[in-house]
Amino acid sequence: MTLGVFVRDNRPRWERLETMLAFIETRGPAKTDRPFLRELSALYRATTGDLAFAQTHFRGTTMQLFLQQLVARAHNQIYRPHRLSSSVFGRFVFSEIPQAIREHLTAVTWSAIIFLMGIALGLSAVQFDERAASIILPNNILNSIYSGQMWTGSIFSVVPAPVASTYLFTSNISVALLAFAGGLSGGLITGWILFQNGFMLGVVFKLCADYGLLGALLAFIAGHGLLEISSIIIAGGAGLVVANALINPGSYSRSDAMAQQGRSAVRMAVACVPALVTAGCIEAFVSPSHAPVWFKAALGLTLGGCFWLYLMITGKSVKVR
Amino acid sequence: MSTPNSTWDTRKTELELPEEIDLQVELANVGSRTLAILIDLALGGLVLFIAYSLWELLAHDVTEDWFTRMSSNVLKTVLILLIFGFQWCYFNLFEWLWNGQTPGKRLLHLRVIKVDGSPVSGIDVLLRNLSRPVDTLGPMGLIGLLMIFVNRKAQRLGDLMARTMVIHETAIDWSIFDQVKAQAGAAPVPANTPGIHLSSAQWELLHRYLNRREQFQDEVRQRLARQIYEVLKRAARGTDLEVSTLSPEDWLTELARRT
Repeated sequence: MTLGVFVRDNRPRWERLETMLAFIETRGPAKTDRPFLRELSALYRATTGDLAFAQTHFRGTTMQLFLQQLVARAHNQIYRPHRLSSSVFGRFVFSEIPQAIREHLTAVTWSAIIFLMGIALGLSAVQFDERAASIILPNNILNSIYSGQMWTGSIFSVVPAPVASTYLFTSNISVALLAFAGGLSGGLITGWILFQNGFMLGVVFKLCADYGLLGALLAFIAGHGLLEISSIIIAGGAGLVVANALINPGSYSRSDAMAQQGRSAVRMAVACVPALVTAGCIEAFVSPSHAPVWFKAALGLTLGGCFWLYLMITGKSVKVR
Repeated sequence: MSTPNSTWDTRKTELELPEEIDLQVELANVGSRTLAILIDLALGGLVLFIAYSLWELLAHDVTEDWFTRMSSNVLKTVLILLIFGFQWCYFNLFEWLWNGQTPGKRLLHLRVIKVDGSPVSGIDVLLRNLSRPVDTLGPMGLIGLLMIFVNRKAQRLGDLMARTMVIHETAIDWSIFDQVKAQAGAAPVPANTPGIHLSSAQWELLHRYLNRREQFQDEVRQRLARQIYEVLKRAARGTDLEVSTLSPEDWLTELARRT
């Protein structure tokens, strides 16, 4: 059979498959009916056969290339992953995310240790020399503390809360996601982000304590602190999981270890997103407000507690796939 | 139409399908992938620029008018969300909803697929795009470029983690195989002339030329006809076409009728 005859005989079939693919690609499989899918699967199998024939008899021709495209596209539609449905989403949120975090508690612990080391070094740096604070804190905050006033009052009175909350949670999520991505640098970027955030917290604490602002600081962070710090530690843990796969792949190849561990690491990182949105909103709306301290503390503890309860308990009964 | 066998993306890789067919896909290379990223960045930059200009226009208008102040705050919030969305959501959303394509990739016929040939899932897309700060954006892009250059499947770090690769798709155009119409007034092929046998590559060359010649300028059209005539004239040896006095283009049309 010559190429011309082969194309002439089968072209209607290929063109039909192409139109069907164009339909299902743009409109989605939900818009199709049973006869459509039957025909699609039959055409797919027939075209695979044509491709096999073309690979034997017409190797290296453009027609073979076209058939390959067609088969690949049909293959994509027939073996497509589950589209997002409420059950897929529910399983992702209520079992996959918490399971991923429970699986990697060691990494989360290490992440917390690095963060605590940052805090300890921040505390002792200010203890040793007060000027160390200027490494990490901007001048306006420093001056405000030196004059015995919380810097938060002046910032939140100028910037309206909706803008501030958006700014806070977007920048916090960026930091958290960067801590995850930093795992690919062998953990260097992750470690640096964790350490730097801990250091800043340590410096602020020591400085506020020295200038009699400890009570005000605690009252300010009571509402959002626990949620925010938990998130950054979990995101750091996600980065460390990737870094560990990269540095210490065990019996797998580096890329296999990375692909395997990355799947649960990215789930850990995603868990931080809603937590940080909540924390950002509290930080802008509740924390600077004149609400009583006990209310802020209760809110912070409840939310932080719920977050950890969710991570530790949810989805235990569901078998790991 | 983009030409098949693109000169940009020459590396190929084998895929095995469940139907026991080996599929060869064309890997997208440094050039096309960088260009796609640049298009995406330009698109996002344009949106951000418009949003920023709007904000600048309204934000400085600090009057007592509550409506102006509120719209300035709304715009500020939208601007922050847009910057964030472009940084972290643009690639994720498009690749997820458009089955592995962003506007830049779609324009250049690129697509992200799993290394086993199946389409990407949401988690794969997240994995390969959340890692962009480490291997695509800013100076870190050098790492990604180097990886694409060195890796056998042109995977950067994020691709390795997500087990994905970026391929170059060829636009399908069956019309290059159309039967060539005889010229008006041409004599019918004499009844007892033997058919001329062409190899599949020759047949394809002939038909691609004849079906696309209208798109060429006259001079190019004549030159190509002469070149193809030189290649194909040996196939007509021993027939009356060998001694034909037709112009190269008419000769090729005549050849197509005899195959």
